[in-house]
Amino acid sequence: MIKEHKESRLKEEVLHVISFMLNERQVTCKIKSSTVLLDLIRDHFSLKGTKPGCYEGECGACTVLINEAPVNSCLYLAVNANGKNITTIEGLVKSDGTLHPVQESLIEHGAIQCGFCTSGMAMSIKALMNQYENAQHVPGDIRIEIPTRNEIKKYLEGNLCRCTGYVKIIDAAEQLFAKEDQ
Amino acid sequence: MDFEIINPATTLELLGTINELQSKHFRFGAGYSDLLMELKKKPEENLVVINLSQIKDTAFTGLTISPDHVRMGAMVTAHKIVMNEQLNKDYPVLHQAALTLASTQIRQVATVGGNLCTASPSGDIACALVALIAHCEIMDSTGKTKSIPITDFFLGPRKTVIKKNEFLNGVLVSANNKLSKNIYSAFLKIGTRRSMECSVVSLAYHIQTDDDGDIIHAGVAIGASAPTIRFAKDACDYLIGKRFDHIHQKEKEEFATKVLSYADPITDIRATAWYRKEVLYNLSKSIFE
Repeated sequence: MIKEHKESRLKEEVLHVISFMLNERQVTCKIKSSTVLLDLIRDHFSLKGTKPGCYEGECGACTVLINEAPVNSCLYLAVNANGKNITTIEGLVKSDGTLHPVQESLIEHGAIQCGFCTSGMAMSIKALMNQYENAQHVPGDIRIEIPTRNEIKKYLEGNLCRCTGYVKIIDAAEQLFAKEDQ
Repeated sequence: MDFEIINPATTLELLGTINELQSKHFRFGAGYSDLLMELKKKPEENLVVINLSQIKDTAFTGLTISPDHVRMGAMVTAHKIVMNEQLNKDYPVLHQAALTLASTQIRQVATVGGNLCTASPSGDIACALVALIAHCEIMDSTGKTKSIPITDFFLGPRKTVIKKNEFLNGVLVSANNKLSKNIYSAFLKIGTRRSMECSVVSLAYHIQTDDDGDIIHAGVAIGASAPTIRFAKDACDYLIGKRFDHIHQKEKEEFATKVLSYADPITDIRATAWYRKEVLYNLSKSIFE
């Protein structure tokens, strides 16, 4: 009886077909209405670099880029990923294995301890770089200067780190923009 | 957490969906930063979520600035407000409220409509919009719209005037007074930490002065101090005709007392009612310091 009940419930479940760009690759999959992007990325696509931390949008460990902007994938419905361009930490690395400058800078500055927040941090810093690079062209938008240390701190407020005390992470980000200035 | 989802792609489809679901239990989903959390903590049976984030109509998603007013579609995100130069110049209170909302990641998805319809007494953007005496544009399922002042929009914590066959289409903010020379406008938020903070008390003000420095318009709203965000009308009226930079101590105190008369705070995990009142009184005085 119980088994039958379970089966009939499964049949009732509405599945949605979505299609989007994941790390520059077109993908299609079937999902439940309530699936969140974080679970889809980790469980369906086996990309485990995006970390589940709080599942409440508080810690930022699950940050991914959606159309170049940082979003908590734990609070983002997978249905809404349809047609979007999504980048996870795995997408920062070039196909020959070369690390992205953000990753290099984090390593160089010793900004990683346990590493659980690192992929989220890297994605947020990448998003700030995107915002800095793109904002020059959007009419009506606030002109973005090279972010100051305080602006970097403000931008990273949604990413928690319980090991480093943030100083080295912010150093790593600051140096990326210092390089761009040259 | 389990629900069915419907994805209308246009306002017309949305109207149809709302009509069809009148006898069912449904909720609107915009940015989902509040809704998913709520459903995880308290799942609702047989819930249908109407997903608003795939509607493309610009009346719903766009921000337009015209000589008489600013119109924000309900799906305009906090990030979009923060990035807009004109809003930052004309309505610093709105810019600052959007910028203090949660975190960078949440601001990408959190919407004006969501902030208003959640009707939290501590809503940041909502508090700024009350100070700006915005108007809410509500559409019903026949496609008819009406505009109501935001001061009539909130009925209680998490309760608004929006009926089951209606939805919030957008928000209108009037342009600043043509005679206004200086604008004193800010969003003051007191919390127990800086980031990801829900206000213990917030105060939004938007005050305009003419060539002589006399106050010709004042809007003051208080957040997290009563069951809804409140517009401190008596306090605003009190300021009209006074010189902004010549308000002396007695007048500051009288103004703060008038603001405080609108407060009816609760004691909860974040702060006691007594503390909230003390903070609000001092914040109110600090506008002129």
